[in-house]
Amino acid sequence: MARLTINARPVAFDMDPRTPLLWALRDGANLTGTKYGCGVGDCGACTVLVDGAALRSCLVTLAECEGRVVVTIEGLSRDRSHPVQQALVAEQAIQCGFCTPGLVMNAAALLTANANPSEAEIKAALPNLCRCGVQPRLVRAIQRAASISRREETIDAAPPPGGSGRIPAMTTTFQGDTP
Amino acid sequence: MAFSRRGVLVGALAGGGLALGYVLRPRSYPLPLPARDGEFAFDAWIRIGTDGVVTVSVPQVEMGQGVTTLIPQIVAHELGADWRQVAVEPAPVSGHYANLALAAKWAPLWMPLPALAPVVAATPASLVTRRWAEGEAFTVTADGTEIAAYEGAARAAAACARAMLAQAAAARWDVAWEECEVAGGFVRHEGKRLPFGPLVEEAAALSPPSTPPLRAEPMAERPGEFPPGAALAYPRLDLPSKVDGSFVFAADVRLPGMVYAAIRHGPIGRKTFVSDADEAAVKGMPGFLHIVRSEEGEAAWIAAVATDGWTAEQALTRMEPGFKVAGGVETDAVEAAMNEALHKADAHRIHSAGDLSLVKGGMPVQRGYEVAPALHVTIETTAATAWFRGGRLELWIGTQAPEATRQAVARALGLNVRDIVLYPVGIGGSFDRRLEFGHAVEAARIARAVDRPVQLTWSRREEFRAGLPRAPVIAVMAARPDTEGGVAGWRARITVPATAREFGRRLFHHDAPFDAIEAAANEADPMALEGAVPPYAIPNLAIDHVPVRIGLPTARMRGNAHGWTAFFNESFVDELAHKAGREPLSYRMAMLGGDPRLAGCLQRVAALSQWGGGGDASGQGIACHRIGEGRIAVVVSARRDAEGVRVERVSAVADVGRIVNLDIARQQIEGGLVFGLGLALGCSVRYAGGRPDAERLVSMGLPTLADCPAMDVEFIESREDPADPGELGVAAIAPALANALFSATGLRLRRLPFFAEDV
Repeated sequence: MARLTINARPVAFDMDPRTPLLWALRDGANLTGTKYGCGVGDCGACTVLVDGAALRSCLVTLAECEGRVVVTIEGLSRDRSHPVQQALVAEQAIQCGFCTPGLVMNAAALLTANANPSEAEIKAALPNLCRCGVQPRLVRAIQRAASISRREETIDAAPPPGGSGRIPAMTTTFQGDTP
Repeated sequence: MAFSRRGVLVGALAGGGLALGYVLRPRSYPLPLPARDGEFAFDAWIRIGTDGVVTVSVPQVEMGQGVTTLIPQIVAHELGADWRQVAVEPAPVSGHYANLALAAKWAPLWMPLPALAPVVAATPASLVTRRWAEGEAFTVTADGTEIAAYEGAARAAAACARAMLAQAAAARWDVAWEECEVAGGFVRHEGKRLPFGPLVEEAAALSPPSTPPLRAEPMAERPGEFPPGAALAYPRLDLPSKVDGSFVFAADVRLPGMVYAAIRHGPIGRKTFVSDADEAAVKGMPGFLHIVRSEEGEAAWIAAVATDGWTAEQALTRMEPGFKVAGGVETDAVEAAMNEALHKADAHRIHSAGDLSLVKGGMPVQRGYEVAPALHVTIETTAATAWFRGGRLELWIGTQAPEATRQAVARALGLNVRDIVLYPVGIGGSFDRRLEFGHAVEAARIARAVDRPVQLTWSRREEFRAGLPRAPVIAVMAARPDTEGGVAGWRARITVPATAREFGRRLFHHDAPFDAIEAAANEADPMALEGAVPPYAIPNLAIDHVPVRIGLPTARMRGNAHGWTAFFNESFVDELAHKAGREPLSYRMAMLGGDPRLAGCLQRVAALSQWGGGGDASGQGIACHRIGEGRIAVVVSARRDAEGVRVERVSAVADVGRIVNLDIARQQIEGGLVFGLGLALGCSVRYAGGRPDAERLVSMGLPTLADCPAMDVEFIESREDPADPGELGVAAIAPALANALFSATGLRLRRLPFFAEDV
């Protein structure tokens, strides 16, 4: 039984230790923000932080994560307040949103390591595939996130979830119980 | 659009809210939204709660194009709501929300006699179209029809709601309601103001006005009002939930006791069978639960069900399923069929003008162009969640064609359509991939076999193996220059399967892919040649379709026929300009007297890109195109260096009429250009034995952030009717790039994708 810390909580997985982290997160822990796009490391949609480093969770097994600290998109911030999240929403560098969580995690790792990345450094740090075509907005969005991180500007683009009286979150109509 | 008093339905919600339906209803249908506890039942499109929240139902699927912002924005503007009080909810499938604009456009695909389509159903207002679309609950999301289909109804309902709120406030203040103003979420009169919440209960008791009192101006964001860096007036409603991973795609649904399925499909072929699968190999495998096989229809598949998706995939790997295929797709055979048709088959004349003797036989300039089949390569793979219980099949799925999906599942399971409950969820990029819905049937069959909720997710490899590509096309373009260096005669002979008809057979008649090929074979298919008529004033013109049966089922894809016709036309006109020794921009401008809006785009893009004439190996290439009433002009700057050709900058100017949301329009142009770039540089596979030669994203040549050129996108300010910006970029980028590469390298690339040839 692999034991690791996910989003600041200790978790033990009763799953085959060879299971890639991606499936443990999605199917074992119901953390579905991390997306499956290819399973072989090509698309970057499943990127999470493992001990602070951005890793493609399809390429690392549960056994390899034993004792490590994993942060997924759900744990990056409680209320979408991470500078990368705020900046991507402010710049509307999101369309269908499927590649977004992986992009956010890569960009978050970049900013932790480099508070003021150059255009070339941003391009090198974000190999994520996006078919909707948000690429033309990404460099500016990440640079904006960096300047927010450096406290040079503040934005308040993505309201917190839970209907705080500002923009109500998109609602979906599910019948049945969804955890 | 005309309205009748009966058209807008009003009622009260539990707790005193106000509900309005905004569709005309000559007939009645079951209510699309079930009443909640203590709620009165209405076909609610706009609901206003006593807390002041305005909830807008959107009957089109969100797949990145922004529809779950656009329709609420139209409502918010007309109603006078504050954007912060607006919420959005996907609408269930219902005849209430028929997409009449698309039903009219696709009439040749659903009418029993396609030839009658132009006669009886060509307009959204025709009774035949309405009867059919409402009866079939035709709410398909496609072809950029969302504003054309729903803006009028959304405005009408919002205008009625505004009037009723004003009347409720006016009654309290004892003033004339017409003197009240509704803006920013308040009804105001002189110094007094009231928010919506306290008014809705009184408003709901009033009768709606007989004619919706529309505001003088529809929703419009003018480009001049939004300089670079300006704040967004209407930020997208879907982005906050997308940036924290909480937005639910089909594979993110979680249900009690749910299990996970993986699948392997047979090759693409006339008939396939599961030949063997080592079921003993998975006996006792922890987490493994079931095997489900299907050999019904044309395509065989085998699925494994387990307690998690990875175990399900592992079970399939262990079983090593084998398939037998009859008539598996061979790209060599496809190409042979295309070439034979090109030279020998009869053509249908789709369009002609002028003296046809001038466009007959051999012409002075003839060039051939080709487009290879291309895959959609969405990042989200195909997925659906299904639960069969109590004789009903519940389905959580992202689909552009919800009712057809329900019908297909009902047919496969022998159920009544009303027992198929479809919960619409967002799509992780579709590009028309999710107009196909075979996976819904797969998930339903598996769900029935396992008797608990099950989630089917295709692996990336299956996406390559079982997704249908857009059609291959060959064009022979021919021209007769006139004495002034212009074009006197133009002929396009385009060899392409009747791909739109074939798609129509699958969507509307539930044909299996190879049956659809047979049903559509050799039919003229004007939709497969959309955009082939050039925008230029050319006196003598012939556009011919050579239908061909190729043994490869083909699908719609973002851009559709414009994805190839723009490439043919704009590459060819560039070649003609060079041959005449003329500068490519002025050569086009001289022939655009009939389309000043397109000429305006060209002029503006020339300024934006600092167009230098495209000569002297500058690496600049220009192209323009029109889709319906939408227009675009693009300049690509490319450079050849030791590592190959690099696209450095793309400048685009679009005229899409009145713009509802400027930044979403910009996203659509940018996204179209990037998507088109992907199609120009890759996304192609070859088939042998029905299997593709690539199964990984890395083989697709997709542009990454590092490869992506800088982009400048501008819009022409216009009060014309809105046109869809979503496909313009896809169409125009390939020829602009080809023309830029010609300028940069002297090499004329006439085959898409380009780097199948040696650059």
